[in-house]
Amino acid sequence: MARLLVQLKLLLLRNALRSSTGAKIGFITSTIFAGLVAAGTFAILASLRGHSAAVDLTTVIFTVFAFGWLILPLVAFGLDATLDPATLALFPLRTRPLAVGLLAASATGAWPLANLVGLLGVTVGLASGAFGLLIALIAVVLEVLFCIALARFVTTSLAGLLRSRRGKDFAVFLVIPIFALYEAFAQVVPRLSAEGKLHESSFNGVDTALRWLPPGLAAHAIQDASSGRPGPAVARLALLAAVIVVLVWLWIRSLSRALVTADTSTQSSAVRSAALPFARYGLRGTLAARFWIYQRREPLSVTYWAIVVVIMGATSVSTVTTPRYLVAILLSAGFAGVFVGVFHANSIGLSGPAFSLEATALSGSRALRAYFSGQNIALGLVGVPLLALASFVIAAVARHPVDGFLGLAVDLAGIGAGLAVSNILTAGLPYPVEKRAGNPAPRPAGGYTGYPLGAALACFGAVGVAVTPVVVAVLSTSSEPAAIRMPLLVLGAAGYGLALAWAGVRIAAATAAPKLPELCQTALRSRL
Amino acid sequence: MGESAIAVRALRKSFGAKEAVAGIDLDIAAGSFAGLVGPNGAGKTTSLSMMTGLLRPDSGQILINGLDVWADPRAAKAVIGVVPDQAPLFDRLSGQELLEYAGRLRGLPAAEALRRAGQLLDVLDLTADAKRLVADYSTGMRKKAALGCALIHNPPVLFLDEPLEGVDPVSADVIRRLLTRFTSSGSTVLFSSHVMELVEQVCDHVSIIDKGKIVVTGTMDQVRGGKTLQQAFIDLVGTRAGDEEVLSWLGSSSS
Repeated sequence: MARLLVQLKLLLLRNALRSSTGAKIGFITSTIFAGLVAAGTFAILASLRGHSAAVDLTTVIFTVFAFGWLILPLVAFGLDATLDPATLALFPLRTRPLAVGLLAASATGAWPLANLVGLLGVTVGLASGAFGLLIALIAVVLEVLFCIALARFVTTSLAGLLRSRRGKDFAVFLVIPIFALYEAFAQVVPRLSAEGKLHESSFNGVDTALRWLPPGLAAHAIQDASSGRPGPAVARLALLAAVIVVLVWLWIRSLSRALVTADTSTQSSAVRSAALPFARYGLRGTLAARFWIYQRREPLSVTYWAIVVVIMGATSVSTVTTPRYLVAILLSAGFAGVFVGVFHANSIGLSGPAFSLEATALSGSRALRAYFSGQNIALGLVGVPLLALASFVIAAVARHPVDGFLGLAVDLAGIGAGLAVSNILTAGLPYPVEKRAGNPAPRPAGGYTGYPLGAALACFGAVGVAVTPVVVAVLSTSSEPAAIRMPLLVLGAAGYGLALAWAGVRIAAATAAPKLPELCQTALRSRL
Repeated sequence: MGESAIAVRALRKSFGAKEAVAGIDLDIAAGSFAGLVGPNGAGKTTSLSMMTGLLRPDSGQILINGLDVWADPRAAKAVIGVVPDQAPLFDRLSGQELLEYAGRLRGLPAAEALRRAGQLLDVLDLTADAKRLVADYSTGMRKKAALGCALIHNPPVLFLDEPLEGVDPVSADVIRRLLTRFTSSGSTVLFSSHVMELVEQVCDHVSIIDKGKIVVTGTMDQVRGGKTLQQAFIDLVGTRAGDEEVLSWLGSSSS
């Protein structure tokens, strides 16, 4: 059974190489990336040799790997066809050999191998002496086994949920903390280490908690063995092995249950809704109502707004507490406008086949003006308060709360410009998207991979140019009294943003009207 | 025969080298319950998409109640209702919101849209699920909701692409009765299907399409010519035979 499932996994990997060019590139990139992670982790772990905090940092790295194994399958469920017990439920298999086989299949592939090779860096960094080396090898193998067992246990227990609509919705939301973590690492860590605020001993406190978690047991066992304490070393590994055995036992139990339990995706609760909001305000109000509901109920829309806020935080973090705090306030607001554009630049393609319901009812530029302006009203209703709040929070962190109005001015111009350019791109550069297994966010369909990049560049350029006059107005009026300057700037920017959005709606509707059938065909090719 | 509710002249559409619709002529009288049948890939969905203004034809003319779909799309769209293949819907709306939305898109006043949505949900047996998200609906429920969306503005002409595919017998019966009532009041239905028994049961007019061309069109009796529709269809379209020997192991008499 184990051999068969390992062969299946290898076959799946080989087929990935044989399928479309996109999948091939994805597979090769992923493999190269795995190699880099392996080499990088090995180098980092090896470089800890002789550091006072070597064991603490090793513990942190071991824990990060376990965390990655825990999170990734939740987001990328479906990436590995052997992950879902339902695919095997029809075959007459006994649970125990199946479990061994699935574990072996999990351990096959570039990423598990990269994991193993990378963590072996401890043999250089932390281990010393023959006994230390032996314990290090066992500890790394146990750590990788622990990671695999953990990932298997979590995915199997949640398989029913992850296959359901709600589970998939939940997985989309996981993009937010992952993106925030990535931004934190990309922005905060380099700055803190450059300022000398982040160094090895910063992890001292962390270790006191982490050392009792399974990855910490592995790291500390190596430390014990290398410093002549074989007893505790063996005891720690024995404890870790026991944890793995318990985890595997729990997993086998949940596997045998998952193989015979129906999924619960058809059970759901009702929504609280009386009638469509603003539907009495004509066609525009009707469309605004639909987009407004989608802003709240579509996980991807919520995720997009959350990412806009994270981007605002990330772009302001490096200067917000410095005398150049105004850069943080204005830059974050400008970036928010850009990403409002980027995320809505293909709204018809993202609507997918459902757009045909609208396309069979709408016709002509007047109706399409209602379509785009209705959408903008809904986005504005979410975006303006959200971005205003973010700007005021940033200004408060900078200890100049009143300057939040300056951020608001750029927010308003940026939202107007972002909506305008996104409307025009929706009409002019539509492309079908598809949700692929393993990725909760839709990606462009084959042959359209360059479109999002083009749209993003257009948004950067257009919003950048559009907000420049407001930024200039903010900077050139800094000596004026705030009581006059702030209201004028905010009102002026609001009018300017509205004018931009209005122009965007006109251009987009004029572009879309003659090619509505083609837009509809694009939307119909989306697979959501 | 009175004035045609649907009149199609020399309709053509190619995708690259493949000619999906190769010159279709069709006349459907007002009040007809008409079926468009054909094998998979015959051009049914492509034809219906062009008739409903969702796919631009290469050439040809389509008149719905005398209104040219491609010369005056706004007027033509106002008189048609469409249930596309797969019934794509805004699945983050509840069933009630979806029908109300469809009604408002078609220009019904808000109160009227809400009233009709409630009545349609009732007739379609969806009232208990009216406040659930369409995302959580079964295939049959989605088809019924899509039909509700297509009917809410009481269009004189209704197009349905595979309306009963994946629908359970009870829901199918609900849909069938609703459509029969709809046509008996003088409205027209054109629907595509490859379920012959269904077409035979409900349609008074049938057209058989194969390889992008209408092979035969007429009243049900004319097309059947004394046979079952299934037999008439297979005689016209042809069948594939001769696979039996290859699968000699299949069946309980072999091992």
